[in-house]
Amino acid sequence: MNASRRLDPVLLLALPAVLYLAIVYGVPLLMLLGRSILSGGTPSLAPFGAFLSDPFSWTVIGNTLRIAVLVTLLCLLIGYPTALALSRARGAAQALILVAIILPLSVGVVVKAFAWQIVLRRDGVVSQLMMGLGLWSEPQRLLFTEAGLVIGAANVFVPFMILPIYSVLKLVDPRLGEAAATLGASPLYRFFKVALPLSLPGIVTGVAFVFSMAASMYVIPNLLIGDRFQTLATLTGRSFLFMRNEQLGSTTAVVLLVLTVAVVVGSAALSKRLGGAS
Amino acid sequence: MSQGFLSVAGAAKTFGAATVLDGVDLAMDRGEFVSLLGPSGCGKTTLLRIVAGLMRPDQGRVALDGQDITRLPPHKRDVSVVFQSYALFPHLSVAENVAFGLRARGAPSGEIAPAVKRFLDLVQMGAYAERSIKALSGGQQQRVAVARALVVGPKLLLLDEPFSALDRKLRETMQIDLKRLLREVGTTAIFVTHDQDEALTMSDRIAVMHRGRIEQLDTPAAIYARPATPFAFGFVGLATGLPGTVYDSANGIVTVATQAGPLRGPGHFLPGSPVLLGVRPERIALDHGGANRIEAPLADAAFQGARVQLHFQAPPDGQILVETPSLPAAAGPGTSLKMSWAIDDTLVYPAPAEAA
Repeated sequence: MNASRRLDPVLLLALPAVLYLAIVYGVPLLMLLGRSILSGGTPSLAPFGAFLSDPFSWTVIGNTLRIAVLVTLLCLLIGYPTALALSRARGAAQALILVAIILPLSVGVVVKAFAWQIVLRRDGVVSQLMMGLGLWSEPQRLLFTEAGLVIGAANVFVPFMILPIYSVLKLVDPRLGEAAATLGASPLYRFFKVALPLSLPGIVTGVAFVFSMAASMYVIPNLLIGDRFQTLATLTGRSFLFMRNEQLGSTTAVVLLVLTVAVVVGSAALSKRLGGAS
Repeated sequence: MSQGFLSVAGAAKTFGAATVLDGVDLAMDRGEFVSLLGPSGCGKTTLLRIVAGLMRPDQGRVALDGQDITRLPPHKRDVSVVFQSYALFPHLSVAENVAFGLRARGAPSGEIAPAVKRFLDLVQMGAYAERSIKALSGGQQQRVAVARALVVGPKLLLLDEPFSALDRKLRETMQIDLKRLLREVGTTAIFVTHDQDEALTMSDRIAVMHRGRIEQLDTPAAIYARPATPFAFGFVGLATGLPGTVYDSANGIVTVATQAGPLRGPGHFLPGSPVLLGVRPERIALDHGGANRIEAPLADAAFQGARVQLHFQAPPDGQILVETPSLPAAAGPGTSLKMSWAIDDTLVYPAPAEAA
């Protein structure tokens, strides 16, 4: 009783979330970490040494990072203009864009996979389009390729890029762009010197969301590329579910966690420096 | 009249069913300071945005320094704007805000720092160059916004109610400072305001705007002494307005029957015309020395330091406003007092439509 009286009441509002995360996330994470370093009873980093000295592990780490970076870049490329349009749109147009962004989230990944099969296969929509434009000389299959995986994953994750950028952009005073224009700044100069730096916090949040989800996705690679292509997440799943190798599974899980946290924290720090300098 | 340095011809703008600008003409000379004065919704900000290029007029032309700029985008116009909210870039320091326009125009980097320093000194913000915008007070932000707009050497400076967020004391200081600064730099400026005192203090000429039109464009003294329309009369300065009907007209002098008795003023109206008769409060003397004489009970006296403002009851439900240096001895609420003013100090307008 005494302790809670001294607590800031505002902190109490966070209590449900703290308790929930501690039980369903914190405890299992500690168990996982414990399993990865406690092989045979004594704490040791040997499992990490063994994992990192295996060349195949580096292929898997490379796969994970490459796909996550490409998915994040594609989402940023598609998401930023959409967020900009959304922040400028008014009334019915804005509602329509928002629905178009949020509604697809309600369709499960497995259902979407059927659509991707139609779009990405050898006689699919993308292949026909590229042929029609004369960019491809013969039909190509994107399904079960890395390109197909990136396209499919970006489709799932792009709302998580759009929404944080939009929520920052809509708070930017539209007068700032007008002020820049009357000072002689061209539209391109205004974008790079005003809109972009001011939306950096939204970009960092979006990148953190999409990168961490793309690095740890499990179902999408299974559906779109299959067993031949392993990432840290799919390898973790295989270790636990098929190979019954909890040691390897918990090691890959921890490596994935460290990589993701490093990228998210690093990008936040980088944006802080970019925003503070110039 | 010549074409002018700035010329707006027949500018019109409608938003849906609302006509915001209804064919506005405005001509300004180089170096002139013109205020657009009017209540909110009169179209003054719309006119400013059209001149800045932030909005396209539905009709009409805008020319600046001999060039038609009607279809030119804002960044090619050489017209700077000081916004009501200042619109300073929150991610840049004070000095970087001022440097923004020079950088955007690709000024040689060696010229930027001295120019920024010179203009920050001009607005007395030299000591704050490296500060963050968020650390400044409203008055300081306002000064930075002015420096940022002037440093690029614009042909025309537009100010959209730049002092409305400041308290009165600071506002008066800033008005004087801005006027002096603009004279020093020699900038042509349009100043949008709904504050008549501000417009009277600062302007070379005032454009009184009402319902999307310029009702009168003249010097502050002329607008105060001879308002062209009942709206300009009511909006600029304090005033008494008495409705009445003309019953005699001879030699440019009309005699008007009002509830306060027969009153005379200069004008050409046919007998029977409904008119509005006006007089400024400081033109009324508390004696019967003038030609227009009435007597009314004192309702209220407001002491204002240098002068006293007296409110008299005028039949049926109007009031007469008088300003005198001091309250007459023994006068209190209800006391009936004599007052009068000269025929030449009387303004006679056709009765405004809404009063008819």
